Amino acid sequence: MRNVFVGVLHFRDMFHDYRFRDAVLRSITFAGAALGIELPLGLGLAYLLRRPSIINSIITALVALPTLFPPVTIGMMWLLMARRNGPVGMIMNWLLGGTYDPFGNTLHAWGTVVLMDVWHWTGLTFLVCLAAVSGIDESYVISARTEGATRWQVFRYAEFPQIVPPLTFIALLRLIDALKIFDEVYILTGGGPGLDTEFITQYIRTVGLEQWIIGYASAMSLVFLFTVLILSWAMLMVLTGGRGLIE
Amino acid sequence: MAVNFKDLTIKIIKIIFLAFVAAIFLLPVYFTFSVSISSKARINEGAIVPDFYIGHWIEITGGYWKTGLINSVIVSIACMGLALAVSLPAAYIFVRYRFIADKHLFFWFLTNRMAPPVVFSIPYLMIWRGLGLWDTQWGLILAYMVFEVPITIWILASFLASIPREIDEAALIDGYGFRGLFFKFILPLIRPAIGVAMFFAWLFAWTEMFFASVLTSAVAKTIPAQLLTALGKVGWGVEYGPAAAAGFVTIVPGLTLLYWARRYIVKGFTFGRL
Repeated sequence: MRNVFVGVLHFRDMFHDYRFRDAVLRSITFAGAALGIELPLGLGLAYLLRRPSIINSIITALVALPTLFPPVTIGMMWLLMARRNGPVGMIMNWLLGGTYDPFGNTLHAWGTVVLMDVWHWTGLTFLVCLAAVSGIDESYVISARTEGATRWQVFRYAEFPQIVPPLTFIALLRLIDALKIFDEVYILTGGGPGLDTEFITQYIRTVGLEQWIIGYASAMSLVFLFTVLILSWAMLMVLTGGRGLIE
Repeated sequence: MAVNFKDLTIKIIKIIFLAFVAAIFLLPVYFTFSVSISSKARINEGAIVPDFYIGHWIEITGGYWKTGLINSVIVSIACMGLALAVSLPAAYIFVRYRFIADKHLFFWFLTNRMAPPVVFSIPYLMIWRGLGLWDTQWGLILAYMVFEVPITIWILASFLASIPREIDEAALIDGYGFRGLFFKFILPLIRPAIGVAMFFAWLFAWTEMFFASVLTSAVAKTIPAQLLTALGKVGWGVEYGPAAAAGFVTIVPGLTLLYWARRYIVKGFTFGRL
């Protein structure tokens, strides 16, 4: 082992590395799925639970409760739950007629991983949405109602513009965190079946800390960091109409 | 009657949906508790109904868990207060004033969160050792600030951005000084955001495991790092019981905070704006 300068060798390798490409695509798909469920669910729940009452407070606490668990614990508990005799395994087997197999079936593995993430993080999107919805200036809503707007129009033109900045923030945060996900999925599926749930963080870890090809792992981290950067920037620009969060 | 019937149907559907959501979110929490009070044999059988074995809970009440809990409380509360004190003025400046490269600086803050913590851990360890901050509570708090302040600034700024500038102008015209404007007008308007920001700052310090295990060894170890060490001792991945019990212990203080934060968030603006 000599220390030699390899130039762009690692970056050239990445172009031919299908495992790298697939892992990045998987991470992006996963982030899309997680965001696509967590944001509408969080916003919907915020609208349902915006009025102060004891029942609403209890449900708020329940939905936000999972965010308080350390990720390692969550991975372990879901591993137990997804087994044939665990609660999730039993319910899924009942729904799917006994064919549920998160450790052998790609689709079931993905479903379980996404469900775990939704359970873990919807609380966070929900809290931000709740704060955003409670901060809506009612005077716009009232004047829109007086003009005879439908419920959808009120939401789209009077309420939504006011809650865009907080929604942008939580969407960005969840995007970044979902792309970075490691502990829970690693413990739950270990990347399996095959490599079907291997996300980029896990591949970098495998290359860097198991095969000890530190240079290649670092190069991949760098490329991945820029991927996250570009995706977040693009998302910020799309959500705020090209203005950015601060004008 | 027809209208009433429709309202009633919507209400019933709403209640059923909320009950369904609550049940789904409660199930894993119940299961974790159930695992924590089940013997090993029962865990292997599924542990849906526990057999009230308290060994795991006794195992995690060893002396060092108490120091861990105290450290966790100190670090996360200090993080909450400090992050808020730093980011409130910063967020206000970012939203209301223009200066060179402000947008870029603002976005760059968020990139702190993009790189995996593993990338930072080695330089942190070396610098913290050199400064004598390693294995102290202040060292840990300082390290968390790097990741928390950007997030709290983003939360507060995103809520401040939806407050019209006219409110500032009206308050200033009415003869309020800057202090009056900030404390009498801006702060009440972003009350929900402050509740969320405090919860975030607290949460990330409370559940953070990686930095806590790298930057501390004995004196300043927090609960999640303690969890990792304990699991390492008993061979983690096998001993689910103690992990479930310890995980359950970590969520209890959060519950009280959540209830309080919710009241802070949903206070609502019955008075309207100006």
